Formats: sequence, C-alpha cells, structure tokens
Amino acid sequence: MNEHVNELLMFQIGARVFASTVRDVVRIGNVAEAAPGTLIEGTSLGATFARERGVVVAGEAAGTEATLVVDQVLGVRSVPDSQLLPLPAFVTAVIPASAVSGLVLLEDAPTLVVDLPALVRERLAAPPAHPPPPHATA
Amino acid sequence: MAAKPATKTKLPKQPSSPRTLARPNGGDAASLAEAVNAFAKGKLDVIIKPQDYSDPGLRLIAEALQGAGQGIGTQLKEFNERVKNVSQGVDEAIEALIRLVVQGDLSGELRLAVTDSALTPLIAGIAQVMETLKRFVTEIREAALQLSTSSAEVLAAATQNESSTAAQASAIHETTATMEELKGASHQIAENAQMVAAIAEQTLIGARAGEGSIKAFMASMEKVRHNAVEVDEAIGKLSKRVERIGTVVEVIDEIADRSDLLALNAALEGAKAGEAGRGFSIVAAEMRRLAENVMESTKEIKNLITEIRESTHSAKEASDGNKREASEGEKLGGAAIQSVSGILSGIQETSDAARVIHLATQQQRTATEQVVLSMSEIEEVTRSAQSGSRQATGAASELTKLAERLAELVKRFKID
Repeated sequence: MNEHVNELLMFQIGARVFASTVRDVVRIGNVAEAAPGTLIEGTSLGATFARERGVVVAGEAAGTEATLVVDQVLGVRSVPDSQLLPLPAFVTAVIPASAVSGLVLLEDAPTLVVDLPALVRERLAAPPAHPPPPHATA
Repeated sequence: MAAKPATKTKLPKQPSSPRTLARPNGGDAASLAEAVNAFAKGKLDVIIKPQDYSDPGLRLIAEALQGAGQGIGTQLKEFNERVKNVSQGVDEAIEALIRLVVQGDLSGELRLAVTDSALTPLIAGIAQVMETLKRFVTEIREAALQLSTSSAEVLAAATQNESSTAAQASAIHETTATMEELKGASHQIAENAQMVAAIAEQTLIGARAGEGSIKAFMASMEKVRHNAVEVDEAIGKLSKRVERIGTVVEVIDEIADRSDLLALNAALEGAKAGEAGRGFSIVAAEMRRLAENVMESTKEIKNLITEIRESTHSAKEASDGNKREASEGEKLGGAAIQSVSGILSGIQETSDAARVIHLATQQQRTATEQVVLSMSEIEEVTRSAQSGSRQATGAASELTKLAERLAELVKRFKID
C-alpha cells in the first residue's frame, strides 16, 4: 500500500530552512513586485537578509493576499506522512510562534513546518517582532 | 807805513876818486882820445887836466871833456840816488803787500816811507790790487757763505737722495721679488686656466650628450604619454563594453530570475496537482535548475565584471597616472632642457673665458717676465745710483767741509 505523500514548499529565512504545504501557497512572486501593504516580514521565523522572494498566501478576507518575505525559495519536496512529526512539547516552550505546526525529517534533519495562514493571522494580530531592515519598504 | 829795503839794488858804479891819466909826454891828442874812450866805456873817474895841453884846441876839448865828465858824474850820482829811493820804495811796497797778504788785513792803505813820482803808478796799482783783493775777498766770502749753505743743502739733498735711493733700491728689490712671485702665479694661473678650459670642454661634451639624452627621454615620455592616451581610450572602450556586458548580464539574470520564479510556480502548481502534476513538477524542477545555473553563471559573470571594473578602474588610474607622470616628465624634461641649455651656454662662456684667461695670463706672464727683466735692470741701475748717491753724499760732505774751510780762510782777510 502506498503511503500518502505531502508536497511541501521549502523556503529559507535568514539561516534557517522552513517547510510549508503547497496548498497554503497561492504562488511565488517577487518582493519588488508585491503590492504595498501586503508584505509580511519580521515574523517570529526570523529576520530576512536577501528578501528575494515572496510567498503569496491567501488573506483572511476573500480575494485578499499577503506576501511572506523570504530570502530564498528552495523548491518543492514530496514527503511521506511518516516523516511528518508533531511538535514536541519542549519545542513549543522554546519557539513562541504558534504558526509552527510540526516537524519534517529531511535527510534526518528536523525542519519546522509552518502554517502559513496561521502565520499571517498571527502577524496581522500582533506588531512585528523584528523590525524590517531599512530596504524592506521598497 | 814804514818801508825798509829788503834787497840791495845794483846801481851804476860811481867814481869814487878821480884818476889821473899818467902821460909821460903829457897833453897830446892821444891821451885825450884815451880819455874819451874811457868815458865811452863808462869810466868817469878819468881826470883830465886841461893845463897839461899845450895845444889850445886840445885844451878846449880837454876843458869840455872835463866839464862833461863832471856833469855826467853829478847826474849819475843823482840818478843813482833816485834809483836807490825808488828801489827802497818798491821794496817797502812789496814788503807791505806781502805783509798784507800774510796778515790778511786789507782794511788799510799803503803808505811808504819814501816818495817818488816813479812810485806813484806802483802805489796806485797796489791800491787797485788791494781794492780788487778786497772785492775778491768780499765776493769769495759771500761765495763761501753761499757755498757753505749750498753745500749743506747739497749734503742734505744727497743724504736724502741716498736714503731715497736706498729705499728705492729696497722697494725695487721687493717689487722684483713680488714680480717673480707674480710671474710664478701667472704661470700657475695660465696652467689652471688651461685646465679649466679643458674641463669645461669635457663638461661641454658631457652636457651636450646629456642634452641629447634628455631629448631622447622627452621623446620617450611623449611616446609614453601617447601610449597612455591610447591605453586610456582602450580602457574607456573596454569599460563601456564591460558596462554593456553588465547590462546584458543583468538582463540575463533578470530573465533567469523570472525563469526560476516561473519554474518555482510551475513546480508549486505541479505539486498542487498531485500525481497528475508530477511530470510537470519534474520539468519545472529541471527548468529551475537551469535557471539557477544561469543565475550562478551570471553571478560569476557579475563577479568577473566587478573584477574587470576594478581592474579597469585601476588600469584607468594607472593610465591617468602614466599620463600625468609622462606630462610631468615632459615638463621636467623641458625644464631640464632649459637648464642644460643654460648650463651649455654657461659652460661655453666658461670655456671661452678660460681660453681668454689662459691667453691673457700667458701675455701677463710674458709681460711679467719683461717687467722682471726691466726691474732687474732698474735694480742694477738703482744700485749704481745708490753707489753714486753714496759717493755724492761723501763728496757733498767733503764739499761742506771745504766750504767751511774756505769760509774760515776767508774770515782771515780783514776788509773793514
């Protein structure tokens, strides 16, 4: 019997790599081409440095979008369910972000799986934890 | 003035006692003739006795002869007396003259004990002689005085002349020595001037060679500057082309970025499509890999372009520096050429001046040798003059003594 496979979008913010299910992503775009006021950065995932890509996510309101500013989009990976793990309790205590939904083991290395809609909600509900760099307001 | 006869004057013999002619036969003509012959011979002491002559004629003649003899005797006696007086007066006058001369007293007059008209011219002549002597003595005295004064002046002048001649001889000797030194110095100067001229000639040759080198250097500098300009233009073209490449690479990079983005979205859509979109995802992943390769390549190209820009910038700065240095080198070369031209001119003048000095010092040397020769002759003449001055001083001294002696002698003559 074939194991269910999850399609995860891999992206990098700062030095860390994150994963997110492709269903939550509308498209990949350029930060420079994003509409003003739709960029989300300075989140609990960390500070960006290259700000090359934007992961466009559907907004809460119908027809709206939000763009998570990332440094790099690494690609799409197919991951079986067996590699998806729930978030341990001590990690929840260490990582304040509520948008992290679990872990995925890639080459035996744990990678945080981010719930992008939750991150958008979290970001819209609270002021940015990390102020954006000066060139972030382009 | 008393006169005393100094010498005896020989007077005619005077008949002391009459002599009678002894005639045995008496009174004849022969005895009478004998008597006349005796008279003729100056024998006036013959006694003629007229009474002895019997012949009247002879008697008359005898009487006449007797009278003539008596008259002649008387006259002769008077004559002798006068001669004696005159002789005494002459003796007195001579004695008085001798005494006057011996005593030098010319103040008085000649007075004789005897008087005779025949002595008048003698007395007058002696008086005239005395007057003449007085005048002579007076003139000699004055002359002696003047001679004494003049001889003293001559002595002083001769002494001064001797001193001056000695000083002159010393000065001439020193001058001769100095001229000898000057001759040596002229010789040395002539040799030095010749050496300076030779050195100046060598320096001139070297400076001309230096001028040629500087001109060659300036030509090289101009070439360097020209090459630097060409290099600058080439760098400019290269820079523009690199910029153009950079622009193209930017475009390529942009395209690759968009391709990567498209590939990402294609992979995303493929993943969303599930199993149906698997192949699509594989193609998208391949496209993305190609796009990333392109971006990697453009990144390398950008790095290379950056390096080329930096190198071009360095080359441009180096080229600008070369141009500046070449321009500065040309300016310095121009200044060096001007300096060398001035040096050449100065050296030429120095060489000419050294030659002129050499010739002048040679002439000076010749003239100095002639002067030394002349000075030697002058020194010889001066030595002779010094000797002559010494002799003149001795003579003047002797003359002064003689003048004093003459004055002393003249003083012995009393004229007032």
